[in-house]
Amino acid sequence: MRNFKRTALLLTLPASLVAICLYAAPILQVLALSVTEPKPGLANYQNLFANAAVGRVVVTTLKVSIMTTVLTVVASYIVAFAIIHMSAGLRRVSLFLVLVPFWISVLVRAFSWITILRRRGVLNGALMETGVISSPLDLVYNLLGVTIGMVHYMMPFAILLLYANLSDIDRRIMQAARSLGARPATIFWRVWLPLSLPGLALATLFVFVFSLGFLVTPALLGAGKTLMIAEYISVQISSTSRWDLATSLSTMLLLVVGIIVFAAMRSPALRAAFVARPQQ
Amino acid sequence: MTISHFAQDAAQIALDKLNRGEIDRRSFLTALGGLGLVAAFKPGVAMADASEIVVCNWGGAAADAFAKAYGDPFTKKSGMKVVIDGAGPAVGTIRAMVESGKVIWDATDGGMIDSLTLGKGNLVEKIDYSIVDKSQVPEAFAGEYGISNYVYSNVLAYDAEATKGVAPTGWADFFDTAKFPGKRTMCKWIQGQLEFVLMADGVKPADLYPLDVDRAFKKLKPMLGDIIFWEGGAQTQQLFREGEVVMGNIWHTRANLLNKEKPDQFKWIWEQNILSASAWSVPKGNPAGKKVFEFINSTLDPAGQLVLLQLMGNGPSNPKTLALMSPQDAAVNPTTKENAASQIMLNPAYYAEHETELQNKYLDFISS
Repeated sequence: MRNFKRTALLLTLPASLVAICLYAAPILQVLALSVTEPKPGLANYQNLFANAAVGRVVVTTLKVSIMTTVLTVVASYIVAFAIIHMSAGLRRVSLFLVLVPFWISVLVRAFSWITILRRRGVLNGALMETGVISSPLDLVYNLLGVTIGMVHYMMPFAILLLYANLSDIDRRIMQAARSLGARPATIFWRVWLPLSLPGLALATLFVFVFSLGFLVTPALLGAGKTLMIAEYISVQISSTSRWDLATSLSTMLLLVVGIIVFAAMRSPALRAAFVARPQQ
Repeated sequence: MTISHFAQDAAQIALDKLNRGEIDRRSFLTALGGLGLVAAFKPGVAMADASEIVVCNWGGAAADAFAKAYGDPFTKKSGMKVVIDGAGPAVGTIRAMVESGKVIWDATDGGMIDSLTLGKGNLVEKIDYSIVDKSQVPEAFAGEYGISNYVYSNVLAYDAEATKGVAPTGWADFFDTAKFPGKRTMCKWIQGQLEFVLMADGVKPADLYPLDVDRAFKKLKPMLGDIIFWEGGAQTQQLFREGEVVMGNIWHTRANLLNKEKPDQFKWIWEQNILSASAWSVPKGNPAGKKVFEFINSTLDPAGQLVLLQLMGNGPSNPKTLALMSPQDAAVNPTTKENAASQIMLNPAYYAEHETELQNKYLDFISS
């Protein structure tokens, strides 16, 4: 047994080395730059908190991320809930359709949304044809467009996480509730929903943390007016050469995400999501 | 910085033309050469060697055979090979190279503003005007640390169908939503943006610098809801094609392409256009030494600069090129006398000093 453990540990060595060289080392370098560029000290972090522009970027990022998270989790819960109630064949087709967007690049998806949402786009065209509206709606190149694009990107992840959680719930509990006279709505609110909390918590955490670092979608669909942290960092690296700002902001983002994940993992709901359940 | 955005964009235009069969491969490669751009993205090819010239540019767009096509003429003349490295001569990269003493580039296509920034940091050689013929370009294009090989302009382009045939007459019309209803586009990179806003607000060209940022923001503020900010040249064409905007501040090369697509619909005016110059710089301790200046001198040749104009629309830095132009060439060239009548020139010294701070202020302003 001990021998086996040692071999197993050895087998992880190549992967660990790759991760250390290509991931941990560059991150440490960023960390190092943030306290040495242009001169050693914590001045960059001080400047970060004093910088009103950075504050506004953070607020925008939080606003977009929270909106995206709420919409994504609610919509994904509905889809996942529907999928677990489908027949096996239909469920396979539905899961396939959920997976399709995974194989399409984030760039292509952003441009597709532009095609759909722009002033002479598919959606505005259809609404004007049918006389619902008389002049095109501003659906893209603003906060709305960014949110639509991000929710679409996040939904497959959230659906799969929720689907895994929901399919693990023991259906006999619903039968018991029904036999005790509960109406369908009561069964949903008092049985399904509480039992889904671990899945909901996991999906919320995942989508929120992922949203915080989003780059491509806000840059393309926001047309410069929805400036989020990742894009701001990218501009400071490539366009303005403000590496002090870029590296300290990156480090802060990493730290905050780390704290959020750490804190969330201590909540009972999330712990439950990771506890091994007996297989049925 | 913006120069790199423009250089990449110009290469993209050439690549699109090549793909559509409008130009042949050889012309394409020649054009890239004129831009100082090349394809072969081979880290490691750029080895320090005194028998060759290593040019660094923004790479990307093209095929690997370019070094041959572009290097041959110069090689014939000088016996030296030309190797192109498309890694992108960012100021930070050059700084790291020079400070570590491992310089692998001889000439970098970084623009007039970068050349000043680099010069201030003591990171580049002075241009050796005993070898480079200064008289080939106007005085403003021959800086201490950089010399221009092409120019480009920010112009006011408009959709004549949307304006019902009425042409705008200057930047003031960009703000006249009563006369020209509809959305506008301008660039999210700062160069050439506040200048036009201030001119629209009545600031005289001579009084533009230092830029009155607060005044420009005040003028721009009520318009923000109607503006879509672009970050790459192709996007500007897209916005016009899709009818998303009725007018905008875009590069003259892209305005020209739009006009070729639909001559009656997409037009632009040269009034108050804003001219920018590219520039070659030479990192301190470059491997080929003084030889690089012979190469730089050869890129100032009018024949090559004309090819560049015809293929991509980049204006020549050498005024002698004007004499070689057909009327069609001259019409799309920002340095033609009529086109330059009310032109202003971007002030590189001002940007070298303030761009970073200005860019961040501007991003904060447009996103709040």
